[in-house]
Amino acid sequence: MSDEILPCVPGLFDQSGGAARLHGSRCASCRTPYFPRSAECHNPDCGGSRMEDCSFAGNGVLWSYSVADFPPPPPHRYDKPFVPYAIGVVDLDCGLRVVGQMVDPPAALRVGDTVELVISELYHEDGKAFTSWKFRQLAAAAAGSE
Amino acid sequence: MQEVAVLGVGLHRFGKTGDDIVGNKSVTALCRHAIDAALSDAGVPWKQIQAVCAASSRFSGGKGWGLNGNDVVEELGSTGIPVYNMSAGCAAGGNAFNVGYSMVAGGVYDMVLVVGGEVMPKGMIQTSGVEEATDPEFLRQRCVGMPGPSFWATLARRRMHDFGTTEEQFAKVAVKARRCSVHNPYARFQKEIGLDEVLASPYVSNPLRLFEICPVSNGAAAVVICSAAKARQFTSRPVLVASSTVATMHFSDALPRGLAGPVPGGPSFHTESLAAVKRAFEMAGIGPQDVSFTELQDNTCYYEFAYPEEWGLCKPGEAEHLLESGQTAPNGRMPINPSGGFVSFGEATTAMGVFQIVELTWQLRGQSGGRQVPDARVGLAQTNGLGGNATAAILKK
Repeated sequence: MSDEILPCVPGLFDQSGGAARLHGSRCASCRTPYFPRSAECHNPDCGGSRMEDCSFAGNGVLWSYSVADFPPPPPHRYDKPFVPYAIGVVDLDCGLRVVGQMVDPPAALRVGDTVELVISELYHEDGKAFTSWKFRQLAAAAAGSE
Repeated sequence: MQEVAVLGVGLHRFGKTGDDIVGNKSVTALCRHAIDAALSDAGVPWKQIQAVCAASSRFSGGKGWGLNGNDVVEELGSTGIPVYNMSAGCAAGGNAFNVGYSMVAGGVYDMVLVVGGEVMPKGMIQTSGVEEATDPEFLRQRCVGMPGPSFWATLARRRMHDFGTTEEQFAKVAVKARRCSVHNPYARFQKEIGLDEVLASPYVSNPLRLFEICPVSNGAAAVVICSAAKARQFTSRPVLVASSTVATMHFSDALPRGLAGPVPGGPSFHTESLAAVKRAFEMAGIGPQDVSFTELQDNTCYYEFAYPEEWGLCKPGEAEHLLESGQTAPNGRMPINPSGGFVSFGEATTAMGVFQIVELTWQLRGQSGGRQVPDARVGLAQTNGLGGNATAAILKK
């Protein structure tokens, strides 16, 4: 039995081409990346605000992380029984710092780990699986000091 | 600009709904208690108050809980005076103080009441009330699930990486805070706590544990301010406001407010608090070396290490050593949170910035009993609130 798979919020991300992508934008004037999409550039040093749609993908470095040791309040949704998960703050190689759940268990993580963007199941409801973007360690053994 | 003085201060002891301290008192009743104490301390009747600056959470909370200054004025007797309701998350108390300070300094009013108080909802604060894809807070909670303490844990984890801070050192901050609280009759928790007890408390958001994170509390704080010239009609040695500032976060801040931001070019922690404190030093013509003690926003013990370094009170990477050698205790050379801090009080959001002014005033008057900082001459206060808000104030005698 395979569940119907839906994004937890439509339009923010997909993996239609195989690779996970976040749908955002980038200012063509100052190169500032935005996720989700932004109608205007908010960089106070940029006078241009020439926004273009842009998708972010690929690898990054785990800047830091925390653990949800207790279930967050609504509007978060999760499968019961609750299993604590790590929340990464990841610097993608494309210049975007983005938060997201980690696929890997908290104890396996180190600041500085190389991670990749993935789309993964977040919770199940009414016979449907709802997905979000997450990050996965590329090589746990390579967990570095930097 | 008029020089501004703190003429009177008052608190309602902090507690938890249903306990022996606050019971089921409304936020208005808690505020009334704190205001009566502040008016009495100032020697000023209610009818001489010319304006009220209230730290308001009613609208920023959006859930029908929280303080609204108009209720307080109605409670004390509607005299028709102006009420300013300031909304800035946990920085609202500092914000209200700044607005009151600015109006007295500018000569608009010469007897202003600043008040903050809260009856908090139970459990982790639910920050988003809407379910719309245009709301960044909704997206962060639905797509990721990032409870409030997770922000602090992310910063604490990064510090462990940058400076080698240990979980035991975070726990030692809580031990120090609770040692101060024993001497503070207004703290919710007034008992010492052992290192083993802190380390045995469960993780709320690893690496931070239950006793290293402030719970939500009910409580209230009030201060009466006026020009220094007017204050000298009441007392020969008023506590003076050397500066009061408000700032918001910078675009380059290290921690994205929503889901994402650009990777910053260098270290850019707590940009709102750094800006507020730096400006407070500049305005006052007072430097970090002149500060006798600091009351900072320790939602979690992590901040007692990070903030003093960022503000120049000590060198980067030095804070853990200062704690462990007793230098952050009231009788040390860099006293931090002699009141016991948020970790001992719990957080009644909008009261906190006003609570800090109360503690600074007591310390500068030499009225802090067993937690007194010896020869306290200059006190620094700082708050930081959801939405990228921060405030600072420097008081001197």
